[in-house]
Amino acid sequence: MRSVCEIGLKYRILPEGDPLKGLYLRWAVLLSLFGVIGLLGWGRYNREVRAQEPKALLKISSGSDLRVIGRIEGGSLVRGSEGKPFEFTLSGEGEQVSVNFMGEDQDTLRELKTIVVIGSWDGENRHFKAKEIALIPNYDFITWAYLTSLIPLAFFIFRMERKVALLYIMIKEEKAYQRENLS
Amino acid sequence: MLSTRFIGWLRRYEKWFGIAAVILMVIGLYTGLVTSSADYYQGEVVRIMYVHVPFAQTAMFAYSTLFFCSIWYLWKRDPIVDNAAHAAAGIALFFTAGGLLTGSIWGKPTWNTWWTWDPRLTSFAILFLTLVGYLMLRTFLDDKEKRATFGAILAIIGFIDLPIVHFSVEWWRSLHQPLSVSTRGVSIAADMALPLSLMSIGFTLLFTYMLMVRTQMLYLEYLLEAKQGRLMSEERL
Repeated sequence: MRSVCEIGLKYRILPEGDPLKGLYLRWAVLLSLFGVIGLLGWGRYNREVRAQEPKALLKISSGSDLRVIGRIEGGSLVRGSEGKPFEFTLSGEGEQVSVNFMGEDQDTLRELKTIVVIGSWDGENRHFKAKEIALIPNYDFITWAYLTSLIPLAFFIFRMERKVALLYIMIKEEKAYQRENLS
Repeated sequence: MLSTRFIGWLRRYEKWFGIAAVILMVIGLYTGLVTSSADYYQGEVVRIMYVHVPFAQTAMFAYSTLFFCSIWYLWKRDPIVDNAAHAAAGIALFFTAGGLLTGSIWGKPTWNTWWTWDPRLTSFAILFLTLVGYLMLRTFLDDKEKRATFGAILAIIGFIDLPIVHFSVEWWRSLHQPLSVSTRGVSIAADMALPLSLMSIGFTLLFTYMLMVRTQMLYLEYLLEAKQGRLMSEERL
């Protein structure tokens, strides 16, 4: 009768070399790969999503392609018509800036709603000229959703793979794979 | 003998599923987090979809695997199939918890609540409880045969919940968005469909990889336990 060890070797279920070394190396590469994507995502956030409060904007003399987050003050919104821009006051952290926006009417443009305006800033006249309006990014929720799901997932798989590697080592060391007909 | 051959097969091919899953997930995450556009109504927060939907889909796929393995076990009584069912249940529970968690985080900025007793959410929570029940049942029963049989029966009964989860958004009024891909067509922009598809296929492959690893783990645990038990009884003799 053939031993379980012989069968195991035939079907290559007993690993060759140190299985843990390969495991750690593989996971180091994987974590680096996902780390790079995390950094690219973080870079995009800083470049295209991150917005500043009106208080920080007031410290700048002028600038273009700026993103400012704030709440449209109640009673300040004047809807544009026939080539005239929308006008409103954006507030945040106790400071206010007047904004005009030349573009189509959209659901986002409502009084007391927090929005992001993208455009250029004239510090001398304390006036912001918006070319685009965006919703608040809520990036903290996105970050939490990814971190609280992908980190436990990686940990779950790592523990599983490590356990399999350890079990193979234990089976080898315990000499559990030996002839079935021991007497 | 058949089990050993099957475990050998799993060990030989598992890495290909793992590699394919990682490649698809890396591209999916890159396109989802970096290159895809924000949604008109939800803004940037729509990016949670690229992790929430694959988690939920994989949970349902894992439960379907548990269901088919349970039927197969009751039919053939093959212990390795019971191992696969047990492995699928553990993974399904993990993905169901992940689906609930990411859904809750997505719900706060879009519905202004972490949780609501919506038909989709409630039926998905029932799926989670069914899986907890399945694993608890397996823990409480000592007899391997009974554990596998009763577990399989429970998993088959619990499968009723799966179509309810899937069609709940069609059958009842729901806060949850309706199906993006159905017989009526595809209602998702192309640059959002790409990362979502990549992540969904990547997660399915990842589940297959995890199932292969976990089935081995449970089999090896059982094997080691049996061998150690036999060696101990021999020493006592």
